[in-house]
Amino acid sequence: MIVKDWCSYCGECAGVCPRNLITVKEYSLEFKDDECKGCSTCIIACPISALEKE
Amino acid sequence: MIETDVLVVGAGPAGSTAAKHAALGGAKVILMDKKSEIGSPKRCAEGVSKKGLKKLGIEPNSRFIAKELDGVRLVSPNGTNVWMTSEEIELPEAGYILERKVFDKFMAMDAARAGAEIKIKTMATGVIKSDEGFIVTCESMGKEFDIKTKILIAADGPESHIGRWAGLKTAQKAVHMESGIQYEMCNLHFERDGVIEFYFGSCAPGGYVWVFPKGDDIANVGLAVIAPKANKPAIEYLDDFVSKSPITKDAQPVEINVGGDPVGGMPKKIYDDHIMVVGDAAGQVNPLTGGGIISGMTGGMYAGQVAAEAIKDEDYSAKYLKKYDSLVRDDIGEEIRKYSIVQEYLLTLSDEELDNIAAEFQNVNFSKVSTTQLIKSLIKVSPKAALKLGKIFL
Ligand SMILES: Cc1cc2nc3c(=O)[nH]c(=O)nc-3n(C[C@H](O)[C@H](O)[C@H](O)COP(=O)(O)OP(=O)(O)OC[C@H]3O[C@@H](n4cnc5c(N)ncnc54)[C@H](O)[C@@H]3O)c2cc1C
Ligand code: SF4
Ligand code: SF4
Repeated sequence: MIVKDWCSYCGECAGVCPRNLITVKEYSLEFKDDECKGCSTCIIACPISALEKE
Repeated sequence: MIETDVLVVGAGPAGSTAAKHAALGGAKVILMDKKSEIGSPKRCAEGVSKKGLKKLGIEPNSRFIAKELDGVRLVSPNGTNVWMTSEEIELPEAGYILERKVFDKFMAMDAARAGAEIKIKTMATGVIKSDEGFIVTCESMGKEFDIKTKILIAADGPESHIGRWAGLKTAQKAVHMESGIQYEMCNLHFERDGVIEFYFGSCAPGGYVWVFPKGDDIANVGLAVIAPKANKPAIEYLDDFVSKSPITKDAQPVEINVGGDPVGGMPKKIYDDHIMVVGDAAGQVNPLTGGGIISGMTGGMYAGQVAAEAIKDEDYSAKYLKKYDSLVRDDIGEEIRKYSIVQEYLLTLSDEELDNIAAEFQNVNFSKVSTTQLIKSLIKVSPKAALKLGKIFL
């Protein structure tokens, strides 16, 4: 997952990921990419389009 | 290893309230938050009712109250207004717009004064179940350490990792997570002072636009959409609104806020052996308004009280902690359930239907402003609403 530099670390994407794969630190996002099923739920939920598939 | 009776993860309003009540009840409490500054950045439009604060025993303080409210304006898609302010009614529902960056800090300070230890810029990165409770792995400015706790209170907001790591199904489905976006702006041209404004319809699919005043020409202007129901990212809806609305045509932003608001109600299980989940993490949000400050703090209060009693009685079993579940559901469960039905009903209305309702509302005399009164009037003017909501609200 590509995290754009305008991400504001609000955690919405982490809340909706059905597999609980996104960890939001104060100023960074971590994805467990190997378990990601590419469902795009996180991408659609982001209010400011800060996520993109690799 | 650090050991404690009660560990609260997340120092939002729900977590701080839980920590305060657990400490007041005599427990040894640690409250932690990953942020450098509690309350910042805010993810909130900052509206609360006076009644709610009073119920929680919070004294209003001029440092955390930005504006006292004088009523409500509802606006339908074609611009029809429904005003409910002191010009129309004797007692408009009284509320405040908070300054959450100050309010959240004050709530954490209350917890500290009650005896809780606060760990700032400290993130919980995992939980391990043990016989005596939980071991929570933590990270703070390059240091890694564990905290062993008899009771874990998960107050980590809409992300709700802690509950999920502990094996509870606390996640909200994407159709139940509002995508929120907001500007704090100045240079607004309010028609009336101190009125909270709501705009409904296709301007915010699945949600609404709000304008919550914070000063003479200052407001939080934002909206929330249900992403799977929207055709574009939330921010594009907000920029459309701001450029078109007469009250924001000259407005300029000084802050942008982003965040998720879980409106799917409380999951079935929000407690287990050694753990209770509170606030947004437990879906303690009014599904119709998206308001979660008071309801989350209510959950926090009960969880804190039950935690303190459990420590005294040395019983941290799910059976004991179920008391928290009963208390919180008795208090706010029914309201969340009812408003969730209204929210689902609102989602079915077209712009035209909303305009018709607003037109009918012109002839209604509102004696007071409350969400229940509004819904009752809605049932009177709309046969479709009567069919869907009549049984629950009349
Ligand atoms: C755009 C928007 C507008 C809103 N407007 C209103 C409104 O007008 N009125 C209202 O009543 N409600 C409103 N809400 C809802 C309200 O903001 C929330 O219900 C409220 O903040 C919930 O409080 P909480 O304590 O449960 O969670 P939060 O306030 O989200 O606090 C959770 C805390 O946990 C911390 N945390 C998370 N994970 C970890 C971890 N692993 N380790 C350490 N710390 C962690 C976070 O940093 C955060 O400080 C709005 C929400 C949004 C998104
Ligand atoms: S929802 Fe968007 S802005 Fe918020 S943390 Fe995720 S990627 Fe960043
Ligand atoms: S694409 Fe789906 S599974 Fe992968 S991180 Fe996003 S929400 Fe989670």
